[in-house]
Amino acid sequence: MPPSPSDSLGNKPLDGGWGWMVVIGAHISIGFAYSTPKVLSIFFKAIQEDLGASYSEIAWISSIMLAVMYAGGPASSMLVKRFGSRPMVMLGGLMCGASMVTASFGNSIVYIYFFIGVVGGCGLSLNLNASLTIISKYFLARRPLANGLAMAGSPVFLCLVAPLNQYLLDRFGWRGSLQILGALMLNCCVAGALMRPVLLPCKPNSCVSQKMLEEEPNKCNTKVQGGCMKEAKNFLNLSLFKDRGFVFYLIGNMMFIFGAYAPILFLPAYAISQGVDEYSAAYLLSIMGFVDMFVRPATGLLANSKWIRPRIQYFFSFAMVFNGTCHLLCPLLNSHAFLIGYTVFFGIGFGMVFALIFECLMDLMGSQCFPSAVGMVTIIECFPMLLGPPTAGLLVDLCGDSEYKYKYLFFMCGSVIVAGGLFLFVANIYNYHMLDKEKTENDREQKENPSENQEQVSLSEAQI
Amino acid sequence: MKLLWAVSALLLSCLRANASTGPNIIAEPSEVVNQTVAILSCNMTESSLPIKGSHWLHNGQKIDTSVSEDSAPFTTLRLDKITHHSSGKYECVFVTEPEGKKTIEVKILPHVSTHKHSEHGNENDEAELVCDGHGYPLPTDWTWFKEVDGGKTPIINGTSDKYEIKSTPNKTTLIINSLSIDEDIGDYICSGTNELGTTSDKIHLRVRSRLAALWPFLGIVAEVIILVAIIFIYEKRRKPDEITDDDDSGSAPLKSNSNDNHKDKNVRQRNSN
Repeated sequence: MPPSPSDSLGNKPLDGGWGWMVVIGAHISIGFAYSTPKVLSIFFKAIQEDLGASYSEIAWISSIMLAVMYAGGPASSMLVKRFGSRPMVMLGGLMCGASMVTASFGNSIVYIYFFIGVVGGCGLSLNLNASLTIISKYFLARRPLANGLAMAGSPVFLCLVAPLNQYLLDRFGWRGSLQILGALMLNCCVAGALMRPVLLPCKPNSCVSQKMLEEEPNKCNTKVQGGCMKEAKNFLNLSLFKDRGFVFYLIGNMMFIFGAYAPILFLPAYAISQGVDEYSAAYLLSIMGFVDMFVRPATGLLANSKWIRPRIQYFFSFAMVFNGTCHLLCPLLNSHAFLIGYTVFFGIGFGMVFALIFECLMDLMGSQCFPSAVGMVTIIECFPMLLGPPTAGLLVDLCGDSEYKYKYLFFMCGSVIVAGGLFLFVANIYNYHMLDKEKTENDREQKENPSENQEQVSLSEAQI
Repeated sequence: MKLLWAVSALLLSCLRANASTGPNIIAEPSEVVNQTVAILSCNMTESSLPIKGSHWLHNGQKIDTSVSEDSAPFTTLRLDKITHHSSGKYECVFVTEPEGKKTIEVKILPHVSTHKHSEHGNENDEAELVCDGHGYPLPTDWTWFKEVDGGKTPIINGTSDKYEIKSTPNKTTLIINSLSIDEDIGDYICSGTNELGTTSDKIHLRVRSRLAALWPFLGIVAEVIILVAIIFIYEKRRKPDEITDDDDSGSAPLKSNSNDNHKDKNVRQRNSN
């Protein structure tokens, strides 16, 4: 059964029209959020020479930025709920731009940690959270497609900004490049300007803005899923953990994130150890990014179809298992041609998972609980994300100089991801079964008490 | 006659003294100069000492492949391609009591290389151009030149505050202070000289203006401001129409709640029309 076009508060999402401009804005915003920590690594060598820092000290810049971006989730979701997406994305863009420009005048590594890592990370966290939230407000029937298109921003910007950064570094040095990159990040303000706030009419007579809606929840709804709205103003919304679907999603996701990034980091090194030359090894990552760019919108389109949308959680588990299987098969491939094949399939799997990762959360939580849910998910995902690559690196070191050292890494990542996918598959069978049972009980209740129907608000639209 | 005896006795004692300090080794050739291939050989003559083996040392380090247990009084070492890595002092060693050694020097022109072929500097900052010297013997003299109109003008240390040259046998550094875009851009040549000759290498220096990044920065900021202004103005112009639309479509869903899609859709469409 396809989801109802109206959600719990009677808001009819546009599903088109200005919504597509919002998708463009989200595309830009998410693109900067995911690609910036990665492309900054191009400047590392120049900064290292200028400031006299060691390689590991420099690498912390990216890690701090990613960690703050994810850890800032709950705070950003609170701000987004209070003020709406548009001001937050514009603020995020200003923070990022200002942080890059300020960092360009720095003379010590700690100064750069603070401005690029902390301030920049906070700005990106606002960007990410607000963009995802506004998509859930503007789209419902076409939401998987909108999510796929918006998440495609990450590989697109990675492919565009990486060579641009290299050019800027040669032409202007790292300080000038940071200033220009900061100016480019101000384009997030343009993205924010596109995110027109959705006015949520509540009373039939007047048009009430979002702010008023939250201050007077009692007038608009009487019974909402799991007390989500009541605790909405809390910093960490622990009532989310009472939701079965949310807990399953979180566990599966943590397993995925743990194994997801390490293969990307070690792929060039593995290729070189298999006899591929350095230039072609670096090229592999570009192939992956290129494939990813097209797979994400395609997955969104596929997930939108009437066969998959109702059971989108199964599609997500399939994508995870596909990704994990790719990694498990990788060590069996030795030649350059097979490695390219692996990279293409890796790109497909990676793109599929990331196109669906937030769509599935929206599907589970609904657009009201989504902001706090995504904040909670990102702060918890911080841990596997920071632990995954170093654990993989430790595994590589432990295997010493044997030619099989990278194979164990791929086996570990692949098996963790496949386990996560299978867990989600089984967990969702159980969850859908329970949701069906609850729905039939609800329907029975409604038939027995027709007068209460008028005031009762429907549960999350994901129920089938 | 007596004088002759005395002199010959003295000479004999000297010879004996020589013989007792170590066996006599003849090295062939005595010196290798600027060759690409060479065969070094050592011959221990007129020695009754037992030879337990022989090996060669390169700059004090034992060459493992040259170790032999052979008791022959001669040994050879073949050098196939003499580069700055393989140049240096070679010593043949005979394992006897006392040890017999002889040194053969393999000399080539110095190998001069730069860390990077092009260097960048910022305006009014300082730039450091570095050249390394390798090989044996190491360069004794370093000179820097600036290429001007196809010719080389030497840069002399200490004549002005602008240039400073610090040299050691294996490295030379040219420090240029307060870089200026007009004067300092160009090619710089470092030359290292040893007893055999001179080799040099070239570095290109680029000077970046301090405010080079300012113009693109301002351009992008202007673009952002213009786009944001356009979007907001467009929105203000459309706003009155949107409010009425929202009101109409908003009221309908509250009446027909949690149930099915179909009916809701129809109701909404009718109302907005």
